[in-house]
Amino acid sequence: MDDPIRTREFLDRLEQGDKIEATDWMPSEYRDLLIKQIHMHGISEIMGAYPEKEWVPKAPTIRRKLALNAKVQDEIGHGQMLLRLAEDLSRPYGRGREALMDDVIAGRVKFHNVFHMSAPTWADAGVIGFLVDGGAIITQAMLLDSSYAPYARMLKRIVAEESFHMQHGESVVLALAEGTDAQRNMLQEAINRWWEPMMFFFGPREMGRGSQRMMEYKIRTLTNEDLRQKFINRYVPRVRALGMSIPDPKLKQDPATGLWEYTDPDWDWFNKMVRDNSGPMSQARIALRRYAHEEQRWVREAVNHATQALAELPGA
Amino acid sequence: MDHETREALIRLITPIADDEWIVGHRGSEWLGLAPELEEDLAFSSIHQDEMGHALYLYELLHDLGEPDPDALVYARPVASWRNACFVEAANGDWAATVVRRYFYEMFDRLRLEALAHVDFTPLAHGLKKIQREEAFHLKHFALWMEMLAQGGDEARRRVIDAVAAVWPTLSDLFDWGLRDDVQAQLGLPPALALKDAWVREVRAQFQDWQLPWPGEIPTTMEHNGRAGRHTPALDDILTTMRAVRVIAPESAW
Amino acid sequence: MSQGEYPVYEVFGQKDRLAFHTHVGSIRAANPEMALQMAREAFFRRETVVDIWVVPQDAIYSAAQEPAYLPQIGEDKKYRLPSGYDNAPHWKRFKARAMSIEEVAEEMTGKRG
Repeated sequence: MDDPIRTREFLDRLEQGDKIEATDWMPSEYRDLLIKQIHMHGISEIMGAYPEKEWVPKAPTIRRKLALNAKVQDEIGHGQMLLRLAEDLSRPYGRGREALMDDVIAGRVKFHNVFHMSAPTWADAGVIGFLVDGGAIITQAMLLDSSYAPYARMLKRIVAEESFHMQHGESVVLALAEGTDAQRNMLQEAINRWWEPMMFFFGPREMGRGSQRMMEYKIRTLTNEDLRQKFINRYVPRVRALGMSIPDPKLKQDPATGLWEYTDPDWDWFNKMVRDNSGPMSQARIALRRYAHEEQRWVREAVNHATQALAELPGA
Repeated sequence: MDHETREALIRLITPIADDEWIVGHRGSEWLGLAPELEEDLAFSSIHQDEMGHALYLYELLHDLGEPDPDALVYARPVASWRNACFVEAANGDWAATVVRRYFYEMFDRLRLEALAHVDFTPLAHGLKKIQREEAFHLKHFALWMEMLAQGGDEARRRVIDAVAAVWPTLSDLFDWGLRDDVQAQLGLPPALALKDAWVREVRAQFQDWQLPWPGEIPTTMEHNGRAGRHTPALDDILTTMRAVRVIAPESAW
Repeated sequence: MSQGEYPVYEVFGQKDRLAFHTHVGSIRAANPEMALQMAREAFFRRETVVDIWVVPQDAIYSAAQEPAYLPQIGEDKKYRLPSGYDNAPHWKRFKARAMSIEEVAEEMTGKRG
């Protein structure tokens, strides 16, 4: 149990708008919420690289190939930066990169629902940049003022890179919208595939206890529904401007409140998918991570071995 | 520029551009799969560099009268590609990838040095930037070679196996793909000199890393990428690469 | 701890020769040379730097856990600051103008601030 006096002092700091550093004392609940949030965020960035990675070898122009390559690389980079934060927070538990990555393979850490879905066409690669990155920016922008300073600092860097991703995604989508019937159809089908997952992306209307505690600790500042409304508000007009439709007949804005009515995603289905890794591509993508992490552990062991061997050489 | 010089330059630059492009393409297959996140980033940057070099060279070719870069990459028949078969082969495991990439980077360094003798300003201009980036690439893969060679039994065995597997496929790398008189006219050293220099450098490093020397590099005639005689692997790459574009070949993407 | 675990290095970059090295984040790497190569691509893909430092995380001692180690500059230390002085009206009495260090620097380097 945490010292109640220190906990009170900690909460006072948060109340005054003070920011927390990795080495500061913090209540174990705060630490655990942060680990859970940042671990999942980092792993989602890494798993989010895979649906687009499939399209790098097939990118239809040299420029697109370079840009998509750089974008997927950034996602891995974001994963790296976020995992470093989660690792520093997990230090008291003796858990580092290896353990946090093992969790993916063992299904002990969840990742965003959108990265369990398949991306069967080039248009999906564009729509992921357009809608998924667009949604991620909305969530991450809220976290820029997080009470945990290392997270807020890193997100500043991440959001700056995401703005390149957004431009890239929009550029791919715009080219398809300006293209042949085949290209426009491909785009519409991709939007149809991604809209419902995006409605789930921001989480349930009624937030769970963990999310509520995160708001109380000022780790996050807006509700799931706030974020979803911002997303709908921003993307409905843009999708329609392209002459594309949104696959939700219920979608309607209340002129008085400005709030959007929308069809609920299949909460149960998505929840189960994220919990059990039972989505269309969950297992295939975890298999890719398993290849990188588990099947190549020999490489990391070799580098540690070599480092030690070279340090022990006479004259080293 | 007379017709003959132009043709000679096109023949000189095409294999270099194609090597860099295919190396970049194969490298991008590792995205998200490298043995550590940090290496994933470094490896990806290196291969973006390679594709960037290819693009620069394809633009030079376009200035010399060849089709534009996208057409060269996305519309050229397989037999017109001049990359070495060595670079089109599948990646294999991390040890095989490191071995292939180290071999290529060492070759590329020597090729770039030789190209400094060619009197063609736009090429010389691009080579400066390319050389600086390639210097990092070589250091990177040499460090990986050292780590794996000194990395204990399993890593060492994997490296030695990988060297043995790629050794018989090296020979077309050293071919300029030019007639001897054209090559001499451009001021380039003979392919044999390039190969000898490569053997000297790699052999010295193998000694440092205590890796067994596999002996003479066998010459194979069956496949020679510089003459357009490729392995089926290049077909696979081109089919994959063009899978999206064929949906609307004339459209913007 | 797993045999595959690498130690952590904190990464610092220097933007130009006259800038200080600034902390940008951290990486895992087996040794300093690997760390330098990895740091470059982890944090400087979009910017030029003239130097990169990697420092083992365990080599860093932070003052933040001990509040007594942290400075709090109050009114009583104003004599250390240029704003703690009020020379301008006095110079005026001698029909001369007060000068700031920035003006001196500007004149010496020829740069406008």
